[in-house]
Formats: sequence, structure tokens, C-alpha cells
Amino acid sequence: MGGKRKGRENKGLEGEEDNMADGGYRSSASNSGHDNVDGSNAKRQLLPSMIKNKEKRSAVHAKLKHQKKLEKRKKIKARDAAEKRALELGEEPLVRKTPRTIENTRELDETICKPDDDELFVGNDADEFSSILKQEQTPKVLITTCRFNSTRGPAFITELLSVIPNAHYYKRGTYDLKKIVEYAKKRDFTSLIVVHSNRREPAVSILHEFDGFLIDALVIIGLPDGPTAHFKLSRLVLRKDIKNHGNPTSHEPELVLNNFTTRLGHRIARLLQSLFPVEPNFRGRRVVTFHNQRDFIFFRHHRYIFETKEVKQADSKGDVAKVSKGEKKSQEKTIVRLQYVIVEVLMWQIDGLQSALIGLEKHQSLMPNKECGPRFTLKLISLQHGTFDSKGGEYEWVHKPEMDTSRRRFFL
Amino acid sequence: EKNKAGTMPRTIAVESPGCPPIRAFTFDVLGLVKVIESRGKQGTPKVVDRWGEPDSSKCIVAASIDDCKFHPLLAVARKGGQIELLNPLNGDLHVAINAVDNPAMEPQEHPFVGLHLFKKLRMDSCRSCTLLTCTGKGQASIRTVEVSPADSASLASHKSWIVSAAGDISCYKVDGSENYALFGGKGVEVNIWDLDQCSKIWTAKPPPKNSLGIFSPTWFTSVTFLSKDDHRKFVAGTNNHQVRLYDISAQRRPVMSLDFRETPIKAVAEDEDGNTIYVGNGSGDLASFDIRTGKLLGCFIGKCSGSIRSIARHPELPVLASCGLDSYLRIWDVKSRQLLSAVFLKQHLTATVFDSNFTDEVNPPSNEEQDAIEIQRDEEAMVPVKRKKASKDSEGHKKQKAKKKSKKIKGHVAEEP
Repeated sequence: MGGKRKGRENKGLEGEEDNMADGGYRSSASNSGHDNVDGSNAKRQLLPSMIKNKEKRSAVHAKLKHQKKLEKRKKIKARDAAEKRALELGEEPLVRKTPRTIENTRELDETICKPDDDELFVGNDADEFSSILKQEQTPKVLITTCRFNSTRGPAFITELLSVIPNAHYYKRGTYDLKKIVEYAKKRDFTSLIVVHSNRREPAVSILHEFDGFLIDALVIIGLPDGPTAHFKLSRLVLRKDIKNHGNPTSHEPELVLNNFTTRLGHRIARLLQSLFPVEPNFRGRRVVTFHNQRDFIFFRHHRYIFETKEVKQADSKGDVAKVSKGEKKSQEKTIVRLQYVIVEVLMWQIDGLQSALIGLEKHQSLMPNKECGPRFTLKLISLQHGTFDSKGGEYEWVHKPEMDTSRRRFFL
Repeated sequence: EKNKAGTMPRTIAVESPGCPPIRAFTFDVLGLVKVIESRGKQGTPKVVDRWGEPDSSKCIVAASIDDCKFHPLLAVARKGGQIELLNPLNGDLHVAINAVDNPAMEPQEHPFVGLHLFKKLRMDSCRSCTLLTCTGKGQASIRTVEVSPADSASLASHKSWIVSAAGDISCYKVDGSENYALFGGKGVEVNIWDLDQCSKIWTAKPPPKNSLGIFSPTWFTSVTFLSKDDHRKFVAGTNNHQVRLYDISAQRRPVMSLDFRETPIKAVAEDEDGNTIYVGNGSGDLASFDIRTGKLLGCFIGKCSGSIRSIARHPELPVLASCGLDSYLRIWDVKSRQLLSAVFLKQHLTATVFDSNFTDEVNPPSNEEQDAIEIQRDEEAMVPVKRKKASKDSEGHKKQKAKKKSKKIKGHVAEEP
């Protein structure tokens, strides 16, 4: 690094470009960005990284940053003033540029599902979940834990049992996971969930308590010979820790699966979908959301209510009775209402639904929803073909560090 | 600029040198055959054709190609017990045979695991082809199929024998001379059969118990002969991530045993020099070993995240093709182990073969009328390709399921332009 810096002093302009391509944490990077604007001065301007004296260098860098900040503020002020003027004059204000986000600049992925792909549909019909999703089988889920810690019923498991209808908890004992798979197959279970926790919690820990164990991972196995998905679980918040939480009922929930665009994502979405019954009970106003963003799947569980727009928020908060579903006014609110969306449809209408979701969250008066049940984040570690087989298993997708070479590439 | 730190993965893409002109076929779980071609010295392989309609009951389990210049033939075995003989130039179905021996037996119970199309017996007449098939339960048979233009197949000579009464066959391979075949599987030690006499000439013995006394059950998942000329040496991959070299003229126990990572060895392929083997396992790692010394030459880094089901080595060009459950066909350079290209094919792939007769030039149309195209693909372990296309009933030769992907290269040069 030091060597490079020295070399750069001699290069001048090229040096600056080198700077730019280099790490962002280099102060020179911002400087060179600034310098390139007036390239002619580049050679003459002194890059902070060229100054050897740390105090002087940090002072110069701080000054540059401050200058940039002032310029940015000026630009924003000017832009806002221009907009205001344009509005007053009745003209069209200038269109604001869309900010560049990682999701916007996501690498082009050829594995994204396309709506006209007949192979996709045939593949769906032929995959392991089709019998459940076509309602030929009702989902029945077996939840268990890893060995050695199922003595005291953990809170997370009870919450999972309340989220997933038709779920049963069995203590792990010392059975081999393969034996448990056999047992579950015999009893006609359609999925097996293993809540895995390894680490004992440190002395003081508030988050994701599990009787002294921190919950680490979730393994979802489709049965009879479905794939095995291994997720890393983090940021678990139990119901009791959520402010103003609601209490879930036992109606079938509506399912929202957001942003599972690639073939792999589609398969995972179908796996998650197969845990829940296909037909939701809209009257129950219960919704379970799996939202995928940057390969992290966020799980949320809400109860929502309808409310007329005119009515003030004060009355409606927490008042479950205000259901306007049956009323004619529900017509207006159909955009806001969370429909039961099948993943395929979601993909094509994702913008509409996402804006609806955003609308939900922003306009509290429109639809105050109570969060109930746990909240956690999943990240897919591997997807194994067939049921769990630690030795002889073959993987459909496994995360390898060589895949992480780009910040804008995601797999789900 | 290269890596910022020595241990981080490469963040700047290396310019891929492009792919030499090749033509390859892939076969998948929906029974589709996809033709991938790359033109020009540094082309990009693209899917140029797709044969068959997506249908999961037509899942291709094994495939074998005879890519001779005239009358090449592609044989495909499907899950339901059908064998189809296709014209590799355009996918036309020559013959479709329902090759289930015993009509009372459900084809699904005894699905094919292996198919081999014999090359040597096709020279004389193009009217018939010979296929070796093998089912999972150990039923092997050699049949000669008459391919008449009327598209009806008549089964001529038919020899069948039981390879193994107990256990499941999961890998097979026919050697270069097409006189011997290897079979192995779960609970089945590797054994070699003389195909003329249908007799077993050699069986392997499991390696001695290791010092801890741990016994791992026999389970071979892939097998291949080391060279075309010598049927005595072969390499087998096990479910327990071991790659073993056997020499039948030396001893029954493996001569050398290598351990590779932690998932089953799903595919092995040999290089023509007789010294290098390519190994692919269940978590998508592809590596090459020098079998003389047992040294790992290197891994093929290319973000392959799914189990490798089949490896094919091009007989002439230094390229390797691998396909598997991550739905990609990857073309690698053999010497530098660099990824030349990856083609996304949307389904779980079960096999791939090369068509070695492919050239870029426009040739006068070849008239491969593959009437009797019986392509013997001994060495090319046809990667089970799900070909949807007209399946020629290639009677699956029960070849030891070679996990290797044979690089069957088809020589359809003539058609291409």
C-alpha cells in the first residue's frame, strides 16, 4: 500500500485514477473524485494521502470533506428552491434523479424467472411441493430441535407453533435426524423443521434467548423426499419483546413472498409456501410475510384491520372491530388489502404489491397492523437435493466464498 | 488491479479467453435435450436448439453418443424405461424402444441407470445398432436394434444377464475396446464383465479396515477406465468422498485411494493422456488429479454451487464440460483450469456429451441417415442427458454409470451452417 502511494505521486493523473479504483476508505478516493472534475488541476493539487504528517493530513482531509458537505447542501437548497419556484409558477418541476441503490444496480442475473418460461411451469408441476400447493395434500409440519437442549420448552418453538397452522412439536431425544425423517414420513408429515442452536449464551444476553442457547439455524426438510434448506437465523425478536404486539389467532394466514426472483429463489419460496395451507382465511386478517432483500429473508407476522380513510387514527388503533371488509368501501381499499399472492404472480406484479406494502406501513390510519409473533431473519446457507444427508448428500446450491466477489450479486 | 488482500476472493473479473468451437448436448430432468454450440475461436456457447417437450416423466437418466463422421447416433435412456435413438444433427427420432424386459415389471421400479451405444459394431451396416443397458437392480442386457426407415424397431440379438443380485447398481462404464464393462453401486463392489461371454472376470475387494476400525459400507458412485487402450486400470469414486484406483492385474484391493473433500464423488472422467483424472463431487467442486502420484493438480474455480452430475472431456480440444444440479453447463480449459463459459439451462442437468465432429465451416450436407446408428459410446459415459428430443431408443447399456461426463463430441459439422 505504501509502495503504491509512493508510485502514485509520480503518476499524477494516473495516480488519481488509481486512487479512485482503490478502496473507498482511502481519503484519496474522495479527493480524486473531486479532482477529476477539473482534470487540469489534478497534477498540481496535493492529495491528502501524499502528506506524510498525520496531523496535517487529517486536517486537510477534514477540510476537503467539509467543503464537499457545504457544496452538497448548497446544491440541495438550490434544487429545493427551484422546485418550489416551479410549483408556484405552475410549471413542472425538474424530475428528481433516482438514487442509485444496490438493488437498483443489481448484477444482471440470467437465472431470474421469466413469465413466459414453459420449462418453469412444468418444473413446478413436477417438483416436490406441487402436491401440497395443488391442494392434494394438506401441510403438516413437525418441529423439533437439535440434541441436548429440548428439556425446557423454548419460547421460540411455541411461537412457531402458533404461526404455522397444523404444526406439531416433538422432543428431539437422541434420535438420528434420518430416523426422524423416516418417522415423519410414516406419519404423513409434509415438512420437518429443526431449530438448531449450538452456542450457549454469554452471561448477559437479551436477544434470542433460548433457555441459555442462542438460536442459530433453521433446517427445513420437505417430505417425503423434498429438498433440505439450511438457513442461518439471526435477529430473533420474540413476541413478548415487541411493543404493542398483537395476539395471533388460528386462522389460516395469508402469505406474502416478496422478491424471490431467481430460479433458486423461486424454489425456496415454494418450500416456504408449502409450510402453510394454500387457502387463506381472509376473515382472519392474519398475514405472514417472507420478504427477501439482498439474500436475507425477513419474516414478519401481522394482524391487520381495515379502516376507512376518513376516520381518525385515534379511534381505530387496536380496535379490531372496525372491519370494513364486508362493506362496500372495501372496494376502494382493495389495493391496500393484502391479497394472497402466489409467488408467480408476485414476480410479475412486484412493484404494485410492494408499493401497496409501503402504503400499509406509512398510512397507519389506513391499516394499523399489529405485529404478532416472532420476527427473525433467515439467510440461505445451502439447499440439498433430497432429505437431510450430511454425508451422502448432493447439493443443489451451496454458498461458497468464491461467489461473494461482487457486492451486487444475489442468489435468491 | 488485482486483489486488495491476498486472501480475499477475486473482485475484478478476469477476461475470459472465450471458448473454442464446440458442440455439446445436455440432458435434464424434464427430458429435454439442449444443443449448445460455440462458434469461432473465442465464441460464447449458446443454446441453439432444444429437443423434446418438458415432461418430468421423460427424465433422461443416461445418454450415449457415437459421433462418427457419417451416421452419428445419439442414444438416450429415459426414466420410464424408454430408449430412444436420435439423430444428433437435428434431433429426429429414429427409433423408440420400450426396453423393459419383463412386461409385468413396472418400469419405474427398475429404472435405467446406464446406457452405452457400441461404436465398433456400427461400421458395417447402418441399419442396426447395439446397445448395452443396465437397470438399477442389476439387470444388464445387450441388444441389437434394427433401425429401419419406417421407424419401427425390431430387436435382434438380445443377451442379458444379472450383474448383481443384491444391491443397486449406480455406476457403469464400457471400456475403449468395448469388450469389457464395469459395474458398481451401493453395496455392490466394482466388477468387470467380459461382454462377449457375459461373464464376470474380476471383482474388487473393499480396502482393509482402517486403524480406527471404522467400516464404511461399499457405495460406488462413479467409475471410469483410465485409458482407452487398457481395460485393466480404472478409477472409482465412492459415496464416502474417496477416489480409488484399481488395477485388475495387480490386486483386488485398490492400488491407491485419495480423499477429496466431503461429499460423494458424483462424476469422474479420464483425460486421454491416461494420467489425469477429473473428479466432481456433490457440492460442486471439480478438480483434477494426477493418478500416477495421487497428487491434486488443482481445483476448477467457477462458482459452481450444485452437485456435478457429469463431466465430459473433449477428445481433441483441451476443454472440459461439467453439468449438474445447479442447472449450468460449464466449459473449462483443461490446462489453466479456468472457466471459459457457463451456460444457464434452467433444469437440473443429468448428463452432457460432446459432439467431436463439429467444425465451424460449412460442409456439404452430410447424410447421416442414422438408420442404424448405433453409436457406441464406450468411453463416453454418456452423461445421462435428458433429451427430450426424439429419443432414439438407445438401449441403455448398462454401463457402469460413469459419473464422468463423457465428452462426446458430435461431429455434426455438416449440418451446422
